Amino acid sequence: MGAPTETCILAIENLHLCYGPRQILRGVDLFVRQGEVVVLLGASGSGKTSLLRSINLLAQPQSGRIVIGGEPIFDRADDGTDRLRLPAKHIERIRARTGMVFQQFNLFPHMSVLRNVTEAPVIVGQIPREKAEQEALALLTQLGLETHAGKRPAQLSGGQQQRVAIARALAMKPAVMLFDEPTSALDPELVGEVLRAMVALARSGMTMVVVTHELGLAFEIADRVVFLDGGKIVAAGPPAEILLSPSHPRVAAFVARFHESVDMLKPFLEAV
Amino acid sequence: MFDLSVITANAPLLWQGLLVTLLYTISTIATGLLVGFGIGLAQLSPNRAIKLMGRVYVEFFRNIPLLVILLWSYYALPIFLHVNITKSWAGYLSLSLYIGAFYAEILRAGVEGIDPGQVDAATALGMSAGQRLRRVILPQAIRRMLPPLVGQSIIQMKNTTLLSAITVPDLLYQGSYISSFTYKPMEVYTAVAGIFLVILVPLTALARRMEGFHGRAH
Repeated sequence: MGAPTETCILAIENLHLCYGPRQILRGVDLFVRQGEVVVLLGASGSGKTSLLRSINLLAQPQSGRIVIGGEPIFDRADDGTDRLRLPAKHIERIRARTGMVFQQFNLFPHMSVLRNVTEAPVIVGQIPREKAEQEALALLTQLGLETHAGKRPAQLSGGQQQRVAIARALAMKPAVMLFDEPTSALDPELVGEVLRAMVALARSGMTMVVVTHELGLAFEIADRVVFLDGGKIVAAGPPAEILLSPSHPRVAAFVARFHESVDMLKPFLEAV
Repeated sequence: MFDLSVITANAPLLWQGLLVTLLYTISTIATGLLVGFGIGLAQLSPNRAIKLMGRVYVEFFRNIPLLVILLWSYYALPIFLHVNITKSWAGYLSLSLYIGAFYAEILRAGVEGIDPGQVDAATALGMSAGQRLRRVILPQAIRRMLPPLVGQSIIQMKNTTLLSAITVPDLLYQGSYISSFTYKPMEVYTAVAGIFLVILVPLTALARRMEGFHGRAH
């Protein structure tokens, strides 16, 4: 921590967010370096999804500062005064430097898989369609989806849809990828293929911020685990340090619940 | 006994009436679609004042019976405004503004029925509000909107018969006229009803097929 805002691909300072009277984020600071993978953990309601959605302003914070790739996208004083007054066009351009993958995939059902991936590069990125299609096919191939390019999302399994969603986000060549519980809506047998795609992406050097409940994924890909509780970061550090010897009581309780479910599985695992 | 000669002898009058009915149906549906698109977008506006204006418009026209709107705009409005309004204009405007309110509701419901995750995804990709609407929301909403749009348009054709109350010579008006001098209401009104059936039953069937198609679409 403490990295200066300028050298970070993503810098969040003193972020506050509330929905009506409910205070969701209470002063969050998060700095993500180029190529770093940060996993956000926390109980439901701890504010981790809100934090993720604040980064590209899908959620509108009250105050704080967000800088993406050196460009401030959000900067409001404690009293809510907008210090940037960015026009919408500007926000959209900076926002396009982040790619987002959602829990429910949110693919466009009226477009083919290929069109899902090329739509934003063509109409937002102003790339010629032919070039966008070539790049999209390369991405789909990389994710093992080349045979599905002409299909509609509804014809694919959940795991395949989520991989298309990853390709769609990557097609905009984002500086940072945001994942919002990408495996939570999947049948258990489909989780693996999405996790593998994320591990490969992390290994390729992509900067990632990931909200997940998969502690295994956190161990596998996280350079740093950030634990939120009550809208604040209560622990942050390497996954082994935070999860194996938790010092904060809320982190300890969170990890203990995970142990419990593993303990319940033990008789089954031993029987096999 | 059913005297068919009443119909054949007065076929030109019925034909004229049918043309007037079709003219009003088509022109007020076309105008109403424009009105409905504008009012529907107003209802979806993030701006509260614009949203309220859209809402007020819709509730105004949905909660006054069409016959009252027609009579009011032909007989009362000219007195308020101190102008002359022909029955054609009163009829055309009333029907257009009236159906516009229903089209606006169909648009609103169609767009609001779209999963908010679709907007999230389009926004996250950097699309502008206009691009989100044109590329992602409307193409999906229109699929849902088509069956109710066709249904409402069918109702509009039937509603044009109320024009006869302000003496616009539509199909029903011509029917009443023929029956007034032939004293054959049974034959004439049966013919009028038959003409509506012949035109609208295929359209209703089409609307039904579209609903089935929509069910399979996603």
